[in-house]
Amino acid sequence: MSHQPCAIIGIGQTKHKKRRDDVSLPGLVREAAQRALDDAGMNWSDIDAVVLGKAPDPFEGVMMPELSMADALGAAGKPLMRVHTAGSVGGTTAIVAAHLIENGIHERVLTVAYEKQAEGNAQWGLAGGRSGGMGAGGIFAPWMRSYIQHSGAPEDIGWKVAVKDRKNALKNPYAHLQLKDISIEKVKESPMLWEPIHFLESCPSSDGACAMVLTNEDGAKRAPKPPAWVLATAMRSELGQFPGRDPVRPQAGVECAHILYDSAGITDPRAQIDVAEIYVPFSWYEPMWLEGHDIAGPGEGWQMTESGATEITGDFPVNPSGGVLSSNPIGASGMLRFAEAALQVRGAAGEHQVDDATVALGHAYGGAAQYFSMWIVGASLDAVAQNK
Amino acid sequence: MCSTFVVPSVRHSSHVIEFPYTRSLGPVYGEFLTGLRDQRIIGIRNRDGSVLCPPTEWDPKTGEALALDFVEVGPEGTVTTWAWVTKPTRKHPLDHPFAFALIQLDGADTAILHAVDVASMDKITTGMRVTPRWRKERIGLITDIEAFVPLESK
Repeated sequence: MSHQPCAIIGIGQTKHKKRRDDVSLPGLVREAAQRALDDAGMNWSDIDAVVLGKAPDPFEGVMMPELSMADALGAAGKPLMRVHTAGSVGGTTAIVAAHLIENGIHERVLTVAYEKQAEGNAQWGLAGGRSGGMGAGGIFAPWMRSYIQHSGAPEDIGWKVAVKDRKNALKNPYAHLQLKDISIEKVKESPMLWEPIHFLESCPSSDGACAMVLTNEDGAKRAPKPPAWVLATAMRSELGQFPGRDPVRPQAGVECAHILYDSAGITDPRAQIDVAEIYVPFSWYEPMWLEGHDIAGPGEGWQMTESGATEITGDFPVNPSGGVLSSNPIGASGMLRFAEAALQVRGAAGEHQVDDATVALGHAYGGAAQYFSMWIVGASLDAVAQNK
Repeated sequence: MCSTFVVPSVRHSSHVIEFPYTRSLGPVYGEFLTGLRDQRIIGIRNRDGSVLCPPTEWDPKTGEALALDFVEVGPEGTVTTWAWVTKPTRKHPLDHPFAFALIQLDGADTAILHAVDVASMDKITTGMRVTPRWRKERIGLITDIEAFVPLESK
């Protein structure tokens, strides 16, 4: 498919918090969008189209919020569309926006994702408005147990991920959790929520939003700051349940990763990707996705965590922003992974910047580990080739 | 034949399942709803000088930010269009037939949707002058206005 390059020239996010009761729902989204426009040196009138994403509407009880947010997003008289793929939606939303640029349909697209979890109850919303839902942790816990058994991983791997991501969050002023005294001891002594997952191995519930301004090559030349380039995008999905399904290493996730690497020209992801923002809402998902997306070989994902390879200073840093374990405005969480990947290759990640990052992976998954969205972004259009 | 089986009386237990969503209102919707509690109707001045009621947080045409320049409007206004509700359900604002109407309050350039309480469909007309019938106990919700009523009948 021939297409024109898409550049990320503006990135904005809110300070993620348990409760943002100082702003309305549109006001929260607006805050991130305004920051992205400011970063891009643009005004509302410069935007051609808006692509908005969020997780299920029952989370806040506002149905089709994209309609009532048209003024907050400056979308009157412009194309406005909403994307929905459960927890992966933030990533998918960014990909849909990128495709509008790559296919020459629009020149400047604003893409926004959010969740205001304090307005509702996600566990109740996930159960379709019925009581007694087991929640995401309840769905994922047996798959994490299965991974631990098959890989032979020691039990402290999950605790290590929980500590690493919270320490990273201390370097990210936008991160929700700022747990200055986090430790292995604290994680393993925190209450067991869904065996084997402790409270401190789980993501928080956050109010927050993320936004990006995407444009084409000409737009990137006019932008005030260095762009990040979208080098490849991929989306795959599968049923949440079917006979013979491997929920620990879903086939859709394997295929999504390989189509992504192939289209970016990546043959050795661990060597050619400098930093990854991977959707890890529960600690064990770090090693699980490292293996599930063939960054590590079978049974080797947990060894990357154990050896420190996934630390900011390691050879394959994962979630230097603090990740979903530190901030989880669900609908925005995927876009935050994508945006943080872009911040890294722009050299704009501040204190959690990974040295010399030129190729980054943004990743999101959703539903019963059944929707996958990923992108590779680079500091230049030939960034992958330059990484060997 | 088997022995007679005595059916115990059927036992019932009832409980209400509800999930109350919360809303953070922000500086504009907050001002509007707080005004209703105090029996005042608040609009906001748009960038072109027009007054929007209900107030919006941003210029609805351009998306530009608005200064928090609030304007008290009404309480009287003019019906700009309406629809008759013949059989109200329990969720409707009134338990007898009424009109939903767009009402442009005096001093506002946009219309607000609310109920108009008249005895029958032939008693409401576009252009009719109306005024709010406030509830005695107001809590900062749009229902603090029970309905609008014809001005002359107040």
